[in-house]
Amino acid sequence: MTTRTNFKAYSSTMMKVFSQDQCQELVLAAEEAMWRTGTDFYDKESLEILKKAGCWVDGKRVRIPAHITEQALKTCQKHVVLCNSRTGARELFVEGNNAYFGSGPCTPFTRNPFTNERHRATRQSVGWATKVLDALPNIDYAMSLGIVQDVPLLISDRHEFEQQILNTDKPIITVCVDAWGQADVIKMAELVAGGEEELRKNPFICLYAEPISPGIHCLEAAQKLVMGAKKGLPTIYTPCIMAGGTAPATMAGVMVQGLCESLSGLVLSQCAREGAPFIMGGVYTVLDMKTTIFSYGAPELHLLLAGLADVAHYLNIPMFGTAGCTDSCVIDEQAGIEAALSIAMTNMSGANLNHDTGYSEYGTTSNLDLVVIADEILGMARRLTKGIHVDQETLALEVIEKVGPGGNFADEDHTLEHIEENYAPRLVNRAARNIWEKAGSKTLTQVANEKVRDIINHHEPIPLPKDVAAKIREIVENAVGHVPGEDE
Amino acid sequence: MANFEELSKSVISGNLAKVKKVTQALIDEGVSPLDIINLGLIAGMGVVGARFKNGEMYVPEVLVAARSMRAGIELVQPLIASEDMPSAGKVLLGTVKGDLHDIGKNLVGMMLESRGYTVINAGIDVSSEKFVQFIKEHKPDILAMSALLTTTMLGMKDTIELMKEEGLKDQVKVIIGGAPISNDFADEVGADGFAPDAASAVDLCNRLLA
Ligand code: B12
Repeated sequence: MTTRTNFKAYSSTMMKVFSQDQCQELVLAAEEAMWRTGTDFYDKESLEILKKAGCWVDGKRVRIPAHITEQALKTCQKHVVLCNSRTGARELFVEGNNAYFGSGPCTPFTRNPFTNERHRATRQSVGWATKVLDALPNIDYAMSLGIVQDVPLLISDRHEFEQQILNTDKPIITVCVDAWGQADVIKMAELVAGGEEELRKNPFICLYAEPISPGIHCLEAAQKLVMGAKKGLPTIYTPCIMAGGTAPATMAGVMVQGLCESLSGLVLSQCAREGAPFIMGGVYTVLDMKTTIFSYGAPELHLLLAGLADVAHYLNIPMFGTAGCTDSCVIDEQAGIEAALSIAMTNMSGANLNHDTGYSEYGTTSNLDLVVIADEILGMARRLTKGIHVDQETLALEVIEKVGPGGNFADEDHTLEHIEENYAPRLVNRAARNIWEKAGSKTLTQVANEKVRDIINHHEPIPLPKDVAAKIREIVENAVGHVPGEDE
Repeated sequence: MANFEELSKSVISGNLAKVKKVTQALIDEGVSPLDIINLGLIAGMGVVGARFKNGEMYVPEVLVAARSMRAGIELVQPLIASEDMPSAGKVLLGTVKGDLHDIGKNLVGMMLESRGYTVINAGIDVSSEKFVQFIKEHKPDILAMSALLTTTMLGMKDTIELMKEEGLKDQVKVIIGGAPISNDFADEVGADGFAPDAASAVDLCNRLLA
């Protein structure tokens, strides 16, 4: 028998981009930028809220004293849980070092899994996408993977949400066009949850807004953030910044610019309603200087977001990250490389709620084959972070002794008991060449596409009660669109 | 003696101080101001444009080169009557109403300027009425509209319709771009062209004004 005392064990792989001291340095620099440079708010109510809280308001420009930021960091809710929409079961604990993964929102285009045609996203394509997300075991929540365009465009968000809620019971992150859209979606979610209080108690939706980098909180974003805070619903606030374009070229400068925008949003949410659950977001990447794209496959994307995860852990606030996406226009080797690197690295970093799985063509076209491939990558990535468990049982001295030199472990009970610790692939090929050839010599993308079609044809999501679905339809049908930029 | 090749090379490397020095030297030597622009400054930018297209130069290098070219032009400009100033064309550029995405639009503007276009930047969140007002005021050859959202791209059609109503559509070419825009959409709304990025936007303008 061995005894161990005062012993330190790791239960996962570990990765850090920044030390605690560096995290502090970045946050303090962001506080400095929030005060020295400030950010602009385009919403009147937000300006009033911030002014009342003691921020320095000069026209649209708001300078936030550091003590207000520090107070907001204290008051925001750290324990954020997203629930199942049918049962209310508390499923995703968006906090600490938990890493969840899901799809991305609002791509203008999608690739049809049956015809391979690239076309504008529709009600049907969003419904199909949600079904696929629903069926995959490693996908934890759903974003729309398309902006519905076969309906009046100014109310596309209501149609999007309807397709989502009909096709999955997983938590939904909803990206609305404007405050009116968000109000309608919250109404629909309250119907599903059984009331405003029920939704707040066990929220299955998470709201989403973006500042306009560098340094602008536009009308829609600020209004959506304030509404989320007042409703007490988790709200993601996520700068999408590119080094050399809407942020400095240096990676540390990107961190400061992004944190400055996120934390300004945090201050607004906390001043609107103390304790509001706030999720600090990020799509931090580079402006590709040859092609001018906002890159979804650059190594800097993964590096910056792993760095942001360190800062989020340091601040103890939930974070929204990005992974499983590609700049490639089709699902090829490039897509596989970019998706795998980002998922593995993001998962190791412990970023909490990670989106954009299934984005191809630098975020303009969703692709369900990639979602299925990402589900497999996620299985592998989670095996990596599960690490290696070391104790008397797993050191396996008994069975090593029993089998002895020249023996075989395959038929040992110990083997059978522990086999599940290892990842069993569902998609990638490990078969011998002849067998693979007999099965049609298929590439990973072909196998993934077959699975997508199979899910769309055969998977049946848990249905919504008929009366609830009917009431949701009514809200969609009565939705009124507002021209962008319109106030009141 | 200063020469055009030296000037072009200084533009290509974005060496602002040198561009100024060589330009001044050429002026002092009595070289024709138009030749300084066409054979030195713009010739240099021509090389930069070609290299960018081949992936041999990056966006910031192109923009730095363009800045040095402009510094040279500023020195020569007072010596030329304004109607003789060479310009590839005048482009009115803006992001449509309700849309605040602007980095892409700005890159299009910078690339156009770097290739000798005069660019009037109308900014973001520009309504149809504003576009039309700007057109009347500045009389551009081309109107370039940017939209990154499916909700705001509808504004492009409104602007084109309003231009027709005001009888402006025949005098001004319209080009559009941004993530949700496609060739089909350009045809649908009656635009004269679409380009997927800044470099091809320049080619498109060249084609339309040829
Ligand atoms: C960065 C970004 C932002 C930033 C923009 C910051 C800024 N200062 O511009 C922020 C975070 C603010 C933002 C906000 C939003 N965004 Co956004 N954003 C993007 C992203 C990731 C990259 C865009 C970009 O800047 N690319 C780099 C630049 C250099 O490229 P570009 O703009 O495409 O321009 C090039 C070409 O298109 C072309 N071009 C552009 N204009 C023109 C004009 C002419 C005439 C020509 C010829 C060519 C041309 O040349 C340019 C240079 O090469 C895109 C995804 C994507 N890949 O496009 C989403 C994207 C455009 N956004 C999207 C959405 C949904 C939004 C929001 C509505 C989200 C929300 N609900 O809060 C808000 C809208 C805010 C508003 N009212 O405008 C969706 C659009 C969906 C739709 N409705 O069509 C996209 C496609 C992302 C996605 N898949 O969900 N966004």
